[in-house]
Amino acid sequence: MDFATTGKPPLTEPQQREATRLCVETGLILLQHGAESALVENLARRLALALGVPRAEVALLANAVVVTTLSEGHCITTVRRNEDRGINMHMVTEVQRAVLAAEAGALDLEGYRARLATIKPLRYPRWLTSVMVGLSCACFARLVGADWTSCAVALVAAGVAMAVRLQLVRLHFNPLVNFFVTAFVATSVAGQGAIHGIGDKPQVAMASCVLLLVPGYPLINSISDMVKGYINTGLARGMYAVLLSAGACAGILLAMTVWKVWVWL
Amino acid sequence: MNLLWGILQQMALASVPAAGFGMLFNVPARVLWYCAAGGALGRGLRFALVEGAHLPVEWSTLLAAATVSLLGVAVAQRLRAHPKVFTVAAMIPMIPGVPLFKTLIAIAQIQQRGLSDALLSTAITQGLQALFIVAALAVGLAVPGLLFYRRRPVV
Repeated sequence: MDFATTGKPPLTEPQQREATRLCVETGLILLQHGAESALVENLARRLALALGVPRAEVALLANAVVVTTLSEGHCITTVRRNEDRGINMHMVTEVQRAVLAAEAGALDLEGYRARLATIKPLRYPRWLTSVMVGLSCACFARLVGADWTSCAVALVAAGVAMAVRLQLVRLHFNPLVNFFVTAFVATSVAGQGAIHGIGDKPQVAMASCVLLLVPGYPLINSISDMVKGYINTGLARGMYAVLLSAGACAGILLAMTVWKVWVWL
Repeated sequence: MNLLWGILQQMALASVPAAGFGMLFNVPARVLWYCAAGGALGRGLRFALVEGAHLPVEWSTLLAAATVSLLGVAVAQRLRAHPKVFTVAAMIPMIPGVPLFKTLIAIAQIQQRGLSDALLSTAITQGLQALFIVAALAVGLAVPGLLFYRRRPVV
């Protein structure tokens, strides 16, 4: 896509520099919080246009964002390193609304920068998330026909595992280590159901309680990216999703070996 | 009658994980209701297509995901937020988590116990099922962009 001139007065060099920085920050925030590549590129380019830059190009790498703006025959290019901050749809929503406000003409360079600075990530209380994810895994067990006692085992196991996972996130452990430990905890707790004969379908409880570790968002994003032509980010996300699953799988296998309960196959 | 009862059960049970995982993805509280509704609709529709119309599960998943995504566009335009903010959480009840883990565990078992027909067959069939369903979910979600919003953004 090639954006035609917007009809606004041309930007001065400091203004263009500022617009470039705002575009790359916008793209970076979106990428860090789990937006798909098409959305990141689209919003960064639309923002540039809204801020009065006649043309902007965005390149996405697995670990970085590159933005170039072209104005009055001058190019400004800048790169930002991307660190994953975890999926946060609240951030994606708020950034999108800021871009829409800039497009509507409600925000200029200064206004947009001030608005971006006020956006802080939403975090639900950890106990609430743990309870809800526990309930979710109990529902997964019920969906494949487990009895209520086995569902309760899945609820406890998944709830405890989610609390462990959120605590490990807070301590900044590598996500792969986190998934390994969380899967071990979940399978160990649910395994007690199989050892002590709690519930009619302990194998379903053991399978359901680790479903909180399926990297659903990265898997879907990976295919979406590739369908829309972003093969490199798609492959990177897909590979990471497989690695996370493999970490969880190692945790499950270790727990099954320690407690001597084999249920999966 | 039995089918209808089954669909309602599936819908009720699917709405909880959709909203629960929506919280894990930090979906804003107001939007969580749309996650739950989308999850219930997607899973209920897939169940109806598989059990009622006897379609294969991948095609049913594709149709269910496309339906949720198309309705999601209308909601997204009202919310002024990208549809993926809530439609991905709505897909969570349909994610093939058990086949994915079965594949990886079967591969680990092949490494430990040596190759056997049963393990190899589990690894390949479960792995393909996981891959096809995830692809159906992602392509289904992309349907509005692929068919109607080809050169313009949804929001």
